[in-house]
Amino acid sequence: MAQVKFENVDKVFDNGVKAVSNMSLEVRDGEFLVLVGPSGCGKTTALRMVAGLEAISSGTVSIGDTVVNNLSSKDRDIAMVFQNYALYPHLSVADNIAFGLRLRKEPKEKINKQVEWAATMLDLVPYLNRRPKELSGGQRQRVAMGRAIVREPKVFLMDEPLSNLDAKLRVQMRAEIANLQKQLGTTTIYVTHDQVEAMTMGDRVAVMSMGVLQQVAEPQVLYDAPANIFVAGFIGTPPMNMFEATVEKDGDYLALTLAGARFPLAKDRDWRYPRLSQYAGRKIVVGIRAEDVHAAEAKPGWPSVVGRLGLMEALGSSQMGYLNIDATKVAVATQPKAPDDTTTNAKPAKGAPAPRPEDLHTEAASSFVTNLVAIFPPRLPLKLNTDVRITIDTANIHFFDADSGEALR
Amino acid sequence: MSDPTQRRGDDWWRHLILWVAIALAVFPPLYVITAAFNADQTLSGTSLLPRSFTLENFKGLFVQKEGGAEVFFVRWFRASVIIAVLNAFFTVFIGALSAYAFSRFRFRGRRMGMLFLLLIQMFPGLLNLVAIYLIVLRTGEVVPALGLNKLTALLLVYLSGAMSINLWLMKGFFDSIPSELDESARVDGATPAQIFWGVILPLAVPVLSVVGMFAFVGTLNEFMTASVLLETVDNFTLPLGLQAYISTNFEENWGSFAAGVLIAQIPAIIGFIFVQKYIIAGLTQGSVKG
Ligand SMILES: Nc1ncnc2c1ncn2[C@@H]1O[C@H](COP(=O)(O)OP(=O)(O)O)[C@@H](O)[C@H]1O
Ligand SMILES: [Mg+2]
Repeated sequence: MAQVKFENVDKVFDNGVKAVSNMSLEVRDGEFLVLVGPSGCGKTTALRMVAGLEAISSGTVSIGDTVVNNLSSKDRDIAMVFQNYALYPHLSVADNIAFGLRLRKEPKEKINKQVEWAATMLDLVPYLNRRPKELSGGQRQRVAMGRAIVREPKVFLMDEPLSNLDAKLRVQMRAEIANLQKQLGTTTIYVTHDQVEAMTMGDRVAVMSMGVLQQVAEPQVLYDAPANIFVAGFIGTPPMNMFEATVEKDGDYLALTLAGARFPLAKDRDWRYPRLSQYAGRKIVVGIRAEDVHAAEAKPGWPSVVGRLGLMEALGSSQMGYLNIDATKVAVATQPKAPDDTTTNAKPAKGAPAPRPEDLHTEAASSFVTNLVAIFPPRLPLKLNTDVRITIDTANIHFFDADSGEALR
Repeated sequence: MSDPTQRRGDDWWRHLILWVAIALAVFPPLYVITAAFNADQTLSGTSLLPRSFTLENFKGLFVQKEGGAEVFFVRWFRASVIIAVLNAFFTVFIGALSAYAFSRFRFRGRRMGMLFLLLIQMFPGLLNLVAIYLIVLRTGEVVPALGLNKLTALLLVYLSGAMSINLWLMKGFFDSIPSELDESARVDGATPAQIFWGVILPLAVPVLSVVGMFAFVGTLNEFMTASVLLETVDNFTLPLGLQAYISTNFEENWGSFAAGVLIAQIPAIIGFIFVQKYIIAGLTQGSVKG
């Protein structure tokens, strides 16, 4: 029974690096909270402050009703799983799991019982006498988990526990860890840079960037209503398309102008983005998910824009089209590189003008410069390096302040 | 590509160098071995191929002479082994404790301390000898047990001798033990002392063995410092005592000397056999995946 509470927590390292700024967050009792953000954003530092491995520069961290700022790790009743497992190489699996219990001088029968319980839970019974070096990556990972659960602590802290596993094992362990946590009902803070992991595992997800907490919400809320440009660009694969655009009053309605076309916005736009009407006539940032982009012929009568198709990826159930439309892309500064995103290195930086279509004819390489990703239905006949007419479903698009990056809600 | 006969032609001089090196390495021990089993006590009478075979030289080492209370050879041998074991133990123990602190704790003067220790080590040991003699002389006036002609004083001097280089060695090894292991133990509830004994030391066995072994063998063979600090035959260590066999006191007893040298090697050989199995690479393998 313990919630974990950050209140205005700062962390400044001796070298002056401010790794965490003014972080306030409450992890509820029994909750699986995922802390996600690009590499170097301060996730590990935040977690280590809860663990007592890093001093808190200012603010308070509490576990349950106790402020733990000045408690040593061992008095916080937490268990931590490290990115590289940190198993003791000289001890057997059983001794690794029992290590914490032995230090706490638990009676022998209790230790044996607990180790057996943990090993059964994690399918480690056949390996109890092996050394860590005789185990596979997934098994080592499970031993690290076993070492954490055996003590039945108030809080689990996990720092990218799956990042050393291969993709397939990662998916499997993802489900196993989430299940285990549900069974035990132990409050858990799970750190990862992988937004897919965050979305699939977390009861709630806290998104961090450059030491600052951006948004804390259930996964679907993050996807449907990102609080700012950063969250919009970070959550979701492929990343949300974002462009500079303008909105204008059109009688009773608002209309979005993008790449020369005018998209009328339904009136309930005012409900989802109430501040949008105040921005009429001003520059804003519009965010469009790849699945909200359609081929124009599929939506007769909708306004459309032209994009040059630079790259196609057929995924079987769908195809991803990378297009270049006549609009200025807004890239999130710390946007992580998606592993399958071949265009990442060709994306223009924030503020850089999109190359004009004429340039694409003259330079072969620049035909890969694209600024919009769309998910098209399979078997739609599309030809590379041709102009494709597309349209946008405006029901789910997002609007942000061009300067602050905040959602216009 | 290359012609094999050509290669062999290129190679002959390397073999020559190899054989010369082997001969140079093997000759002295062989010579001592022959001398040890040779009945002729003089140096000039000894040749590589013994003309006679005897165990008298060995027996002689253990026979009471000159009405002494104890056989000197046994006494020296015991003194050397005890002092070598103690030196190895304390070198490893004190060194490991300080190396742990230097590796894991962040305190003021940590970097300067390490540098300073390195500087000290660069000062040639021989130059220290005069100072050491005076220090021990003066200390002995206050604490007789640590004065001249005392093995305890010699042990202290030995302990100080190679400490900084050993500290560097051990700190380097400790640094290579991932700090996540300590942190994990800390979260599990371990105190720094428990981390040291339960995590760091077991993983550092290879470097501890190497350091301990060198301290042990180095002490067994040490002559210079011992000859400055020890004065009477009954307090000698083995190298000093063996030297006495061939000095005039013992009438240039080369046979006994050679036999004594052979026996003196036994502890070192046992030590190496004992430590060898610990000097295995990759003990930390499997702790973390990186
Ligand atoms: N011990 C440290 N001393 C100084 N700076 C550090 C230290 N640990 C981390 N940092 C810095 O703090 C920032 C956040 O690091 P970290 O919390 O490890 O990020 P993440 O886990 O999100 O990848 C980085 O800029 C990193 O360089
Ligand atoms: Mg990290």
